[in-house]
Amino acid sequence: MKLISLSALFFVIFLGVLFIYVAEDIPDFGDPYSAPNRYVNLSISMDAAEGEDNLNKGVIPESLMDKIEERRLPLPSRVEPIKEGEWDAIIVPEEAEQDFYPKEQKYYLIKKEGAKLWVYRYAPIIRYIEEGEKETEVPNMVTYILADYRGYDTLGETSVIFTAGVAVILLLRRREKRPEAR
Amino acid sequence: MNTEKSEIGKGRGGDVIVETVARLMVPFIQLFALYVIIHGAGGPGGGFQGGVIFGASFILLVIAFGIVKAGDRFPEAVNTAFFSLGVYIYAGVGLLCIILSLGVAQYLNYGFIPLTAHFEENRALGMDLVEIGIGITVMAVITSIFFNLVWKREESEEEGGGGEEVQE
Repeated sequence: MKLISLSALFFVIFLGVLFIYVAEDIPDFGDPYSAPNRYVNLSISMDAAEGEDNLNKGVIPESLMDKIEERRLPLPSRVEPIKEGEWDAIIVPEEAEQDFYPKEQKYYLIKKEGAKLWVYRYAPIIRYIEEGEKETEVPNMVTYILADYRGYDTLGETSVIFTAGVAVILLLRRREKRPEAR
Repeated sequence: MNTEKSEIGKGRGGDVIVETVARLMVPFIQLFALYVIIHGAGGPGGGFQGGVIFGASFILLVIAFGIVKAGDRFPEAVNTAFFSLGVYIYAGVGLLCIILSLGVAQYLNYGFIPLTAHFEENRALGMDLVEIGIGITVMAVITSIFFNLVWKREESEEEGGGGEEVQE
């Protein structure tokens, strides 16, 4: 009995250590590959004095492109100013003739903070919110995300409901229709 | 009104007020359910909500008229067929996209169903078809769960804790 409780204690400690080891690798808030916000900081920056004029002309500064390429992120094709000190960097895909592929994607936000320009990555949901009505002709955001962009999810949900109904039939349906079973 | 007929429902129902109100309200509830399903594209609503409202109208029928009479109106064999019909509509619309675009589009990319000339409007109409499928499935499942529970109860009351005969 003592052996069992000792091994149980050891097992709990082992699981705790394993959890701490795994939890170390959970990314911090603001990781470039998670999207909890409207946009997340990619921690790519450059001096505002050099880059600002180029950005206003519609050219992305070379050093910024190099830093983006270094991180193996997709390169933006052009830049559009939104307001004072903020620019959208847009990716234009090459296969533009494919209808199901997004034609242009607002991908990075370049923002001036103090004397530096910081690069942010837009969350994918931003495109659904801003372009959804244009792309689907449906004004209800819930419906077009549920039934179109997240169509696979909804198909799964429907089959879950179907399975629940079949399970209730199997468990509770009356059996008087089968007199030969007696 | 039809108090004699509702005696078939084993004591349930038989109240003139309840029966009349139910008889008046059920068509309107069903109309509202169809409105919610179809209106899912334009405003609040959708297949899940509309299906539940439609199922609730059948539950009202059972409460008012008793399980036998309501069960005659909505036979369970048809209900079970509706179960899979909704999922088939959903999956079929998805498959139709691949077939009609000759393999270009992905599964469930409604834009390639040539209902109208515009890609975007095709997507809207495809969404409506899918919502109808969801509505049918949800309606059938809600109704079937309620019917099965009520039949079980009624059976055991009738036979005095029955179910002994069906030993296997």
